[in-house]
Amino acid sequence: MNYEFPSDLMYATSHEWVRIEDSAAIVGITDYAQHQLGDVVFVELPNIGMVFEKENNAGEIESVKTVGDLIMPLSGEIIEINKQLDGSPELVNNSPYDKGWMMKIKISHPNEIDELMSVEKYKELVKSEEQ
Amino acid sequence: MDFVPHDNKTITEMLSVIGISNLEELFHDIPKELILETLNIPQGLSEPDLLHRMEEISRKNKIYSNSFLGAGCYYHYIPSIVNFVISRSEFYTSYTPYQAEASQGYLQAIYEYQTIISRLTQMDVANASMYDGSTALAEAAIMATLITNKKSIILLEGIHPEYVEVVKTYCWGRNINTEITKENILLDQLHEDVAAVLFQSPNFYGDIEDVSKLVKKIKEKLPGCLVIQVMTDPTCLGILKPPGALDIDIFVSEGQSFGINPSFGGPGLGIFTAKQKYLRKIPGRLIGKTKEIEGSQEGFILTLQAREQHIRRDKASSNICTNQALCSLAALTYLLAMGKTGLREIATQNLQKAHFLKKEITKIPGYKILNKKPTYNEFLVECPNINSFISECKKLDLLPPLRMSKYYPEMQNVALVCVTEVNSRESINLLTQAAKIASDNSVEGDLNKI
Amino acid sequence: MWRVILIKSNLIFEKGTDEELHNYVPDLDIKVVDLQEIVPNNFLREDIPIPNIPEVEIVRHFVNLSQKNYGVDTGIYPLGSCTMKYNPKINEVVERLQGFTQAHPLQEDNQGSIHVLYDISKLLGEITGMNGFTLQPAAGAHGELAGLLIIKKYFESKGIAKHKIIIPDSAHGTNPASAKMAGFSIIELNSNEHGEVPLDHLEYAMTEGDVAGIMLTNPNTLGIFDRQIKEITRIVHDNGGLCYYDGANLNPILGICRPKDMGFDIVHLNLHKTFSTPHGGGGPGSGPIGVIDELTPFLPEPCIISTEKGLICRESNNNSIGRIKAFWGNFGVIIRAYAYILALGAEGLKKVGQMSVLNANYLRVLLRKKFFAPFDRICQHEFVISDRNLPNGVTAEDIAKRILDYGIYAPTMYFPLVVQGVLMIEPTETESKASMDYFSDVMEKIYKEAISDPKVVKTAPHNTPIKRLDAVLAARKPVLHD
Repeated sequence: MNYEFPSDLMYATSHEWVRIEDSAAIVGITDYAQHQLGDVVFVELPNIGMVFEKENNAGEIESVKTVGDLIMPLSGEIIEINKQLDGSPELVNNSPYDKGWMMKIKISHPNEIDELMSVEKYKELVKSEEQ
Repeated sequence: MDFVPHDNKTITEMLSVIGISNLEELFHDIPKELILETLNIPQGLSEPDLLHRMEEISRKNKIYSNSFLGAGCYYHYIPSIVNFVISRSEFYTSYTPYQAEASQGYLQAIYEYQTIISRLTQMDVANASMYDGSTALAEAAIMATLITNKKSIILLEGIHPEYVEVVKTYCWGRNINTEITKENILLDQLHEDVAAVLFQSPNFYGDIEDVSKLVKKIKEKLPGCLVIQVMTDPTCLGILKPPGALDIDIFVSEGQSFGINPSFGGPGLGIFTAKQKYLRKIPGRLIGKTKEIEGSQEGFILTLQAREQHIRRDKASSNICTNQALCSLAALTYLLAMGKTGLREIATQNLQKAHFLKKEITKIPGYKILNKKPTYNEFLVECPNINSFISECKKLDLLPPLRMSKYYPEMQNVALVCVTEVNSRESINLLTQAAKIASDNSVEGDLNKI
Repeated sequence: MWRVILIKSNLIFEKGTDEELHNYVPDLDIKVVDLQEIVPNNFLREDIPIPNIPEVEIVRHFVNLSQKNYGVDTGIYPLGSCTMKYNPKINEVVERLQGFTQAHPLQEDNQGSIHVLYDISKLLGEITGMNGFTLQPAAGAHGELAGLLIIKKYFESKGIAKHKIIIPDSAHGTNPASAKMAGFSIIELNSNEHGEVPLDHLEYAMTEGDVAGIMLTNPNTLGIFDRQIKEITRIVHDNGGLCYYDGANLNPILGICRPKDMGFDIVHLNLHKTFSTPHGGGGPGSGPIGVIDELTPFLPEPCIISTEKGLICRESNNNSIGRIKAFWGNFGVIIRAYAYILALGAEGLKKVGQMSVLNANYLRVLLRKKFFAPFDRICQHEFVISDRNLPNGVTAEDIAKRILDYGIYAPTMYFPLVVQGVLMIEPTETESKASMDYFSDVMEKIYKEAISDPKVVKTAPHNTPIKRLDAVLAARKPVLHD
């Protein structure tokens, strides 16, 4: 199965992607994750101002047949969420890295960035999960 | 009786196809010491013998020709069309419509039920049903805590005592605090951690609350607090303002009054409705309208299933699976048969007849109506000699009103009287007769003491 | 039915008229007063947006809808773990006896209904081995909640804190959901390659401490009877836990063996599964729970328990978990189950166990010729097949939809989660050999279609009143009423 994994992003083992922009991180779920979920019908995002630790549950992504957790890849405060997903959850399926972005975090522990995976490591992870 | 369609020849054939020689081999995974010799249960009965036995048992219940007992379970007239519809075996022998294409009949019926409840209550969303009014109220309380992330529930006094117990049990399960409070100190009890206020109207005593005023009071004091209303006899919605017009967040009700026999208290019907904004936290099944993937026909399907236990498992807000589908079909048929005219008339009759009886009873010495607020079809009466009153009722073949002392030991002489449209003038006269005799008895009793 | 396809069912509301109908309202024979005397004006509603509809229109509407619906009375309904057995018609007659339907739950003269509750408790006690019952729960999941709350109360009464429940991955979704509602968190155990509970993992999980017990269905949703069941319950008990039996799969062991003897402490039963009461399209059901002696103090009230004096009805006790529903339980469902047990008797109940397992194995052996059956051994009342070896990317869902085209109902899809692309099949004991042969033929035809004409399978159904529906649209833009 051919998935798209942009090489300029970093990845979490729970299948979120991260784009670092100065002291902030933009987060969404990967092409593999959206494929596993199937057609996304609803995304429950956290409120702006909420603070989470890395690996906390920040929200949920609902598809017709299942629910996935949106896990924080890094610790921080939610400073922006993608309101478009309210009326158009399909953006997560059609454009997971662009229009389907989910939240923007103000990074509180920059050292955690090193714990994220590179695109090669993530590709390996997906390969092993598919077997 | 035996409903297995195999003869011995067929059984032998099937055993051979499977590749075993006898039925015992089918259970070889079960440890030998667990296998039973036989069950200590009497031999089975044929249909006529079974029916005879059950008829005998049923006659051990006294069925009165008229009733003045309500308290959460009501006698209303059920149109014959209701039994006709729920006896269609394509409906009652089916299960949850997971295969939508082969279940459009039932799915459409439940969608129509959701629609009719939504219209009657003016609430945005109605689900396909909960078990009954008491569990619907308990699940509404839990839903409120999940929406607000708060852990306290306030119950206004006047909720059916059995409902209060159920709410407490459910809340204990989830470590949610519950507190019962009187109306005059309600506002003081509204602290930051209160997720919702629960109240019943018309309440257990029969009082109709000024819902609009109550809701405003609560929301002004604690914005963000949910207000949940429960009803035990929703026929009053034929005349009273619906909860959707009164800013109620979650409205639940027992639906037995809509076409379901009393049947010793079950099955009932848990009507569950809420505002649109709480849609994704609503428990239970929801039927939605959609289109064919390739085609233009509209159809109905179970939707938003990701809320439910079979998908969300331990993250589901409720564990409900089997609900009360056939009862919701009965309610739908009842409401359709009645129509707006019938519903208004039934509600009016309940109101008028109860009011009439209240006036008649007040004329009898020793009897006092305790309600200070307007009432629907139930009210509290203080009696001079409640034991005599109850026994006189039975002598006149009337199912007596409830002794309030069953739930409130301090209310020894108080009866909860229920009057519905099925109570004729004649039956009301009989009740007043019973009341008079009991009053005379008590005077005699007093005289005897002197 | 040709009419079914031709005639579209509009929503019933479109059949309304302006005619004011008074058909079902008795005569108002008292003197009425002005409404203002009774209720303030601002309490009253304006219009009721529900049409008046002539009776004939309502009847035709529902008769037509029923013809678009499929029930056990229509044909085989092989839904795994639902036990869609035949619903005897005498039960319907019994339930409708006036002496039962007109009884009020709070009336004093209720000996008939109470007799039923006592007697069925006695019979269920004999069937399961349990000593105390409550008939309050309205469904299996409701019974699970009650059972878990009993476990919670039991430990609370001993001053021991226990926060976890062990649940195998093959469990029905209500199990973890119920555990959560009772305040527990879940430890999920993965079944081993035989579909059974791995004892070493169980032992490890139990010794961690903080485990209140285990919830098990046996036989499980794979149709497998766990041969080590006594070991499992022993390990849990030795480590201070309780064992809960999910009785949804009781059918195959009726009259064969008992949960109590397997070592279980609490049992719930699904009267609408094992005991033939109709599924009703999604209820009403009834999920009574039975417990061992030691746990009877915690039963919700009212409950029927066995004492030296015989059976008694207990209505209030400080140790009870409290009430879980108003009144006594779903009496209308209970009475049907009671009639069923009396009709079958000891012999008949045992026959149910034997024949349900015979039927399931017969069907399994027929289907495994073409379909992959991951646990290919003697099963109990149900078995699973998977879409694993199907050609051309045909899935379990496609198969299920294509089955509908042959006029029968499809098995349960995608559950249990343990097997990928699974179909769970339970014929029950009331299915004839001919009916099962037909089902097997249909499955074989579909398999051949998957090879030679996969498109017809992947775009099924074609012969139903409506084609495959857009579930995504329904969830993205929910329209829940008109």
